Amino acid sequence: MNSFVERYSATSAVGQLRKAQRLTEEEEEFSDAAWGSQAGFGNIMNGPPSFTVPNVRDPAAFLRLHTDDHADPNCRIKIQHGTTTLAFRFQGGVIVAVDSRATAGSYIASGTVKKVIEINPYLLGTMAGGAADCQYWETYLGMHCRLHELRNRERISVSAASKYLSNLVYSYKGMGLSMGTMICGWDKTGPAVFYVDSDGTRLKGDLFSVGSGSTLAYGVLDQGYRWDLTDEEAQELGRRSIYAAGHRDAFSGNTCNLYHIKQDGWTFIGNYDIAKMHYDGPGDVPGAPGGGYGYDVRLAAANSTEVAAA
Amino acid sequence: MARRYDSRTTIFSPEGRLYQIEYAMEAISHAGTVLGVLAKDGVVLAAEKKVTGKLLDLSSAKMEACSLVPDQRVPFRNVIGGVAGLTADANSLVNYARTAAQRHLLSYNEDIPVELLAQRMCDMKQGYTQFGGLRPFGVSLLYAGYDPHYKFQLYHSDPSGNYSGWKATCIGANNGTAQSLLKQEYKDDIEVKDAIGLVLRTMSKTMDSTTLGSEKLEFAVLTLDPATHQPKAKIYRPAEIDALLVSEGLTKKDEDAEMKTA
Amino acid sequence: METSFALTGKGYLIMAADTTSARSIVKMKVDEDKIKTLSPHLLMAYSGEPGDTIQFAEYVERNIRLYQIRNLYALRPAAAASWIRRAVAESLRSRKPYSVNLLLGGYDTATDDPHLYWVDYLGTMAEVPFAAHGYGSYFALSLLDRYHDPDATLEEGLATLKRCIDEVSKRLVVSPGAYKIKVVDKDGVREVEL
Repeated sequence: MNSFVERYSATSAVGQLRKAQRLTEEEEEFSDAAWGSQAGFGNIMNGPPSFTVPNVRDPAAFLRLHTDDHADPNCRIKIQHGTTTLAFRFQGGVIVAVDSRATAGSYIASGTVKKVIEINPYLLGTMAGGAADCQYWETYLGMHCRLHELRNRERISVSAASKYLSNLVYSYKGMGLSMGTMICGWDKTGPAVFYVDSDGTRLKGDLFSVGSGSTLAYGVLDQGYRWDLTDEEAQELGRRSIYAAGHRDAFSGNTCNLYHIKQDGWTFIGNYDIAKMHYDGPGDVPGAPGGGYGYDVRLAAANSTEVAAA
Repeated sequence: MARRYDSRTTIFSPEGRLYQIEYAMEAISHAGTVLGVLAKDGVVLAAEKKVTGKLLDLSSAKMEACSLVPDQRVPFRNVIGGVAGLTADANSLVNYARTAAQRHLLSYNEDIPVELLAQRMCDMKQGYTQFGGLRPFGVSLLYAGYDPHYKFQLYHSDPSGNYSGWKATCIGANNGTAQSLLKQEYKDDIEVKDAIGLVLRTMSKTMDSTTLGSEKLEFAVLTLDPATHQPKAKIYRPAEIDALLVSEGLTKKDEDAEMKTA
Repeated sequence: METSFALTGKGYLIMAADTTSARSIVKMKVDEDKIKTLSPHLLMAYSGEPGDTIQFAEYVERNIRLYQIRNLYALRPAAAASWIRRAVAESLRSRKPYSVNLLLGGYDTATDDPHLYWVDYLGTMAEVPFAAHGYGSYFALSLLDRYHDPDATLEEGLATLKRCIDEVSKRLVVSPGAYKIKVVDKDGVREVEL
C-alpha cells in the first residue's frame, strides 16, 4: 500500500526523485556499460559512473603479486610479453601483420594465437602486452563502435575509435593494465593507423611496430617502406618484417598472420609458417621473390644463380 | 488574478509574468537613489543615504555601504558598486561579489573583469527566480569598474538576473526622472570632472529632500592612478562631499546650517 | 630525450620543442607536435609522463577555449598561466597527479609585450625571459644566460634558438632529431623553420 501511494502521489521533489529512482531500478535490465550511458542515453539516477576495479585494497599491488614473473616464477597469472606486431599505411590501404607466439616466461604457451582482433569489418586492432587486456578492451571497443553506428548512422572514424580506447585505458592508468596496440582501419579520411598504449599514449602515424620484436621488425620495415608500394609489395614487406622478428626474437615466432585493409574493409591474406619462410619462403604468393628469407638460404640461392649464370 | 500566481517565484502568471520579480523591482523603486555616470577617464557613482532618525549612529555604517569589491591583496580597487533595495539582501550579495572576486583572483591572479563579476552576480540572482520556495533578491546594483579588456565600464543588474552596460544610469527612487535628465545632459567623451558635476546636479534634482549634504549623500569616483596606471577608487569623506557641493554651487540652504548649530 | 626551449624578444616569443615520441629505446614517431596553441596569442609546450601530457594539454586547451567562448575575449597570458599552474598544483594533491612540465608563452595584447612562464610538474611557476625543460636545459640555460637579449629582433632571437638546438645536437648523447618552432607576436601564432 505504501509503495502504491508513493508511486501515484508525488508531491515533493524528493518524493519524485525517489519514485524515478525506483522506476529506473525496475527497468534496469542492462548495465550502464551495455547501453553506453556516457553518451547521454542512460539514466542519471544511478549516480556518477565508477570504475570496475578488483575488490582489493591496492589493485596494482594485487596484480603485481599475481603476475610478476621476475619476482615470483610461480605467479598465478603470466602476462604475455613477447610479441611482434606491425601495421603500416600506404597507397593501397593498411597492412597489419603479427606473429602468433604466446610465451609465459621461457615457455612457449601457444604457437597459434590470434593477435589481430577483428573489431568490425573496417577496424582491426593488434595485440601486445596483456593478452586478456587487449582482447577484452578491444572487444569492448567493438561494442562501442557498433553503438556509435546505431546512434550516428555512420561508421566511427579510426581516430575516434582509437581516442575512445585511449581515454578508456587512461582512466585505468596505474592500475596495472598492459596494452600496446595499433588501431587500424579505413574511414572517410582514407587509411589510418593509430598507436594506443596503456600509458595513455595515442599517436597517429604511417608506420608502427610494437612488442619485444618491434626493433627487429622496424629494421626490415623502415628500409623497405615507401608510400607508393604496390599491394603485393606491401604484403610482402609486412610478412618479411614479421619473419625477421620471429627469426631473431626468442619471444616471437611460429607463424605470421597477415591482413590487408582496403576501402571496403579488411581481408585476411594468410597465415605463414616462419620456419617455412626461413627455408622455402612464403610459398606461391604474389610479391614474394621465391626462395627462403633466411640469410644462409638467401646467399646459397644467390650463389647458385651466379654459378648458373657463369 | 495576480493573487493566484504571485505566491511562488517559480510560477508564471497566465500573462507570462513573474510577479515576485516585479514586486522586487517595485521595492527597489522606493529605495534610495543610486546614480552612475561613465566618463572617458573614470566612473562617478553617487548614492542617496536614507537616514531613518537623528539617533542613528552613522559611525559604523561609514562609506562601506557604497563600496563593493575592495581588493584585499593590492592597494587599488577595480570595482566599486552602489546598491538600491533591501540592505540586508544587498549585504549578502556584496559578500558574494567579494567572494567571487577573490576566487577569480585566486584562480587567475588578476582582478576580476567587471562584466564577469556582473555575470557571476546575475547567475546567482537568476537562480532565485527559478528554484522554488526562495525569495528573489530585492536588490539592484550599479557596478563601476575598470579592467584591461574594456577599460572603464558601468553595469546595472536587477533582481531578475538581467544586466546591461550603461553610459549613465540610475536606480532607486525617481530613477525615471534622473534617467531623462541624464539623457539630456550626457555627452560622449565626458570627463570625470564634468561627470562629477552632472551626477551631483542630477542627484540634487531627483532626491526628495530639498537639501543636499553629506549626511544624505555618498559619493565615489573610480579613476586610474596616474603614477601606477592601476584603477583607484576614491570614496569621499563627508567633509569632502560638502566641499564638492560648495564648489559645484549646490550648497546647503541657510536654515539647514542653522538647524545643525541649534 | 624530450627537450623544449622558449625565449622572449622585442615584441615576440619563440617556442621550440622536439618532435620525437619515444617508447623505451624506440622512436615511435618523429613528427609529433608538442606545442599547443591555447588561444590566438598563447602557446604551451608540454613534456613528461606519456599519456598525462596529452590528457592534461587537452584539458587545459578546452578550458581556455571555454573561457574565450563565455567571455568573448581570451585570457591574458598571466591569467592563463596562473590558472594552469593551479590546475597542475591541484592535480598534484589528487589521487593521481598529472606529471607534466610546461612552458607557457604568450603575447599580451593589452600591454603589447611577450610573457614566458616556466611551470614544472610540482606546480612551480616562474616568469622568465627564457626557459628550457628536459636534458636540453642543462646545455641551453648557460648558453641563454650568455647570449639572450630581450630586445633582440626576431632574426636574432631565432639565431639564438639555433645556437641552443645546435649545442644540444652536438653534446647530448641522445639528442632529438627535429624540432617544431612556433612564434607568437601581435599578429598571433605562426610556425617557422630555422
